[in-house]
Amino acid sequence: MFARLGQSLDPALFWDYRATLLAGLVVNIGIFVASAMLASVLAVAIGVARTSRNRLLRGVSTLYAELFRNTPEYVLLVWAYYVLPLILSRMLAHKLAIGPVPAAILALGFAYSGFMAETVRAGLLAVPRGHREAALALGISHFDILRRIVFPQALRRMLPDALNQYVSLFKATSIVSLISVEDIMYQVSMINVEEMRPLPLYTGAALLYCAIIIVASQTIQALTRNWHRRGWA
Amino acid sequence: MTDPPATPALSVRNLHKSFGPLEVLRGISLDIAQGAVVTLIGASGSGKSTFLRCLNHLEQPTSGEIYVDGVPITDDIAGLRARLGMVFQQFNLWPHMTVLGNVIEAPLRVKRMPRPEAVALGRRFLAKVNLLDKQDEYPARLSGGQQQRVAIARALAMEPKVMLFDEATSSLDPELTNEVLAVMRDLARDGTTMVVVTHEMAFAREVSDRVVFLHMGQVEEDGPPAQVFGAPVSPRCRQFLSSVRA
Repeated sequence: MFARLGQSLDPALFWDYRATLLAGLVVNIGIFVASAMLASVLAVAIGVARTSRNRLLRGVSTLYAELFRNTPEYVLLVWAYYVLPLILSRMLAHKLAIGPVPAAILALGFAYSGFMAETVRAGLLAVPRGHREAALALGISHFDILRRIVFPQALRRMLPDALNQYVSLFKATSIVSLISVEDIMYQVSMINVEEMRPLPLYTGAALLYCAIIIVASQTIQALTRNWHRRGWA
Repeated sequence: MTDPPATPALSVRNLHKSFGPLEVLRGISLDIAQGAVVTLIGASGSGKSTFLRCLNHLEQPTSGEIYVDGVPITDDIAGLRARLGMVFQQFNLWPHMTVLGNVIEAPLRVKRMPRPEAVALGRRFLAKVNLLDKQDEYPARLSGGQQQRVAIARALAMEPKVMLFDEATSSLDPELTNEVLAVMRDLARDGTTMVVVTHEMAFAREVSDRVVFLHMGQVEEDGPPAQVFGAPVSPRCRQFLSSVRA
């Protein structure tokens, strides 16, 4: 039984298509990096706004975070690909299309900015108020306080949580084939149409995802461990 | 004491502060002469800390005027704060910066001082609080008393007109309290203008030029320590002093 299972798992098949799969992986990584950057920038802005003293700013940013946190990534993906161009075309009175890759980056970037804004907010709130007051009392500007006093401390508190968000985001890139982005899953499906060997192909894709995430998160954790060693993280 | 200098270092006129319906400060007016050491005493809730925090607008006063060196404070809150040094009960050192980093941060950011100059200045003030050898340590590795002395050096590094101490020794063990009080005594001897909120009655009696007793957000008794501690006019002040002495 195991011999037959081994036969049908057939790692060689996966290996034969390495160039195609690698091309797909590059697309996944590209979309991940771009949407992670978009999500991080938006998350910082929204996270700061969430802790603002301005009620309007707080309200709008809360609404934003709730909207994107509670909408499934897949729905956002489809929306960004099919609906967003329609709206933009109407608004600009000019026919407009959004390619699958930009749509995927927008959808995943906005989706994860909602989650990550919460991480940013929690990190900012974890910095004791007294640290801010001491800086204010010295005449340091709000911007410098955020940049020099609050963020460096908040960042260290956010890191474990942010890392989890990035892992989820990378995993979420596996759905982009649904709007015909040519990522790993897309390539695997295409090969499967020809070979009719779902078992080695999809299992191989799963193991590949898993291996990449384990290696990446272990590396980042090792890099950040010395922060904790210094005793103030 | 009969002829106060023409321009007080700090003048407060009719300061009021309410938190919602609760009126914490009910019209405080004080002139603090250049070089004077003024201690504020009073029961918890009398408004001492709120008064201090209103002086540098960490709490926004509800009404009233504040003058530093005769200049009224209007919109330039950061400028006001830079001229008033503040030391907190909880030290509030920034844990991700070294001791020297804590001390030079404000001169670098607020005064835009070139780094070598700020470092020289920072080292001078660390020497003043006897902690030059700790300049490269992180705050977490210092004792409470050492942390508070760094906080004092950090406030001094802005070369403020007036130093405000908000219960600077209240979270320290007695033996650590003394090392901080010793630094404060040195500052007083050097002619630093100081407003000190404290529960250390011995310090108030020995070091200050003037003791102000606050009660329910108002100045209830105000005079030289010999008078306030020896023969207070206000019965409430007398009662407070006998309760803290007991």
